[in-house]
Amino acid sequence: MNSTKRVQVLFLITALLTSSSVCRAEITVALTKGFVRKYKDKATISTTFDIDKHHDHPNPIGSGSDDGDIHIAGRDTVVRLPMVAEIINGAKEKSALDFLLQSTAGDAIPLTGVWRLWFEHPGNTDQIQGEDVSIPKNTNPDHIFEFHPVVKFGSFDVFDSFAPIEDEEAEFRGYSAEKAFDAYEKRPGLITRSNTAIMTQSNKAGFNYAEFQMRLAGKPKDVGDGFIVFANIYNANAKTNDDPVVDESRRMVFVKGTNLLTQ
Amino acid sequence: MGLFNSTILDVIIGLIFVYLLLSILCTAANEWVAALSKRRANTLIRGIEQLLTGQALTNKPPPDKEASNAPPTDKEASNELLNEFKTHPLIKTMFNGENPPTYLSPRNFSATLTDILSAAHEGKSEFANLLSGINDLPDGKVKTSLLALLRRSDQEIDDARFVIEGWFNDAMDRVSGWYKRRTQVWTIVIAAVLTLVANADTIQITRKLWTDPVLRSAVVEEAKVRAQKPRPTVSVEYKDEDDPTNPTVTRNEGNELSGKERELLGQLIGWRSGWRENWSWFTPLGWLLTILAISMGAPFWFDMLNKIMNVRFAGKSPDEKAKVPEKSGSTVRA
Repeated sequence: MNSTKRVQVLFLITALLTSSSVCRAEITVALTKGFVRKYKDKATISTTFDIDKHHDHPNPIGSGSDDGDIHIAGRDTVVRLPMVAEIINGAKEKSALDFLLQSTAGDAIPLTGVWRLWFEHPGNTDQIQGEDVSIPKNTNPDHIFEFHPVVKFGSFDVFDSFAPIEDEEAEFRGYSAEKAFDAYEKRPGLITRSNTAIMTQSNKAGFNYAEFQMRLAGKPKDVGDGFIVFANIYNANAKTNDDPVVDESRRMVFVKGTNLLTQ
Repeated sequence: MGLFNSTILDVIIGLIFVYLLLSILCTAANEWVAALSKRRANTLIRGIEQLLTGQALTNKPPPDKEASNAPPTDKEASNELLNEFKTHPLIKTMFNGENPPTYLSPRNFSATLTDILSAAHEGKSEFANLLSGINDLPDGKVKTSLLALLRRSDQEIDDARFVIEGWFNDAMDRVSGWYKRRTQVWTIVIAAVLTLVANADTIQITRKLWTDPVLRSAVVEEAKVRAQKPRPTVSVEYKDEDDPTNPTVTRNEGNELSGKERELLGQLIGWRSGWRENWSWFTPLGWLLTILAISMGAPFWFDMLNKIMNVRFAGKSPDEKAKVPEKSGSTVRA
């Protein structure tokens, strides 16, 4: 091997090794089979949420992360994973917002929210249900599980927050259906099972919000706290004869009590 | 000749393949050491000891010492609360034979501690009993801490339990940090031992792959086979599928090393007779690179192998098998 080649190979080895600091490996989230069985066909989970950190005001409304949410990081005894709860349209839910802003770390608040497992902030450590959950140091710790959107916070229903994210000055827009669903459909994911657990492995995901039009592909199923229905996905401005952006129908979840359901 | 000609890519594939195999061996060894040393349980015990050590329960000698007229030693006396905690029925029932628990809920910690401290008191309320129990303790750091905590409660037993749980949670946060750091340290230690025992010198491996086209070709072929295997995964088991307490996590690193993989690894690493064949001024650097690489873990190298395979074999040959979802019934690739 001549010296030029040697330098090239050493350069590549170094690049390979240093790339680890920017490459994120896939992360696994593990849940008990009992938990999966209990909640897979439910819209929401109710728990006592131990608050650790919360924003002192909702996000502004604009673009990107300016989505009008208010974030609460905490821990609980039902889900037992690193988690964040988000009230969407936080500024519109005055009573819940005031109650949240008065609460401090350590307060245990009854909370019901739509459960979500999404690898938006997976971090670098596997998240195993039941393992010790570190106390969050900010409102956005590494987490895969979210209560997002929150449905009830303390004694306050926040059903009205299920609405387009907008205020007098701005309107938050999600990604186009084509772009977002293309990304959703291409996401790598590996689901495995053991005797007592279900493990899902994936890497960092994006496209938190999408704007789309759905056309029901079946009859909604009443699951107690909401309805589950399969629907075909179209661009938000799709016309009757346009093709869906995804070939197959996808499962959609509605929460009972929200205006969207009655619409 | 471009930088990314096939020889260089094949050498890189070979290196990644070796790192992947060594990482699998390292992870298996780490799991074995963790189980053998009861690392998680011991870390939990250390955390509890840090909270409760240095606190006597009474100023009197314990009954057996009374009988023998021998006063307790300072160490015995100062660990009375800790020993009482460890032998409390709520804690003992969590033992699996002689094996201590790997997890203790804040609620159980608080219930055990308040039971020990309130046991000898029958006052007007549970909170009063607890407060009396704490006040009766000889001076010690636990007494000081608990009195400080109880000042934050609202004279209610539920509040008292809540602040004690918070105290325990803070301690467990540190315990999680210790455990992660210990695991990382062990990973590096095992990676270093493996590297030195096997003389896995990255520079030597690169040289061999570069100068031996037959070996290089065989390694790339085997790397292709490895890339088709399941990704190394984490497997979790619970004692009860409805209760997430005490998960047991094992790293299922794909399959074990195949005979062919072991054979190729043997050709690329290992000690040769004659120190000149093993040693150069670059050898420590080569070892260091290998240790660093192994500590990144098998999943990382598996992903990297797949990515580089895609680059190397872009425009797949017609006979190459397409990747299909696992059909084992236990795995779904989405």
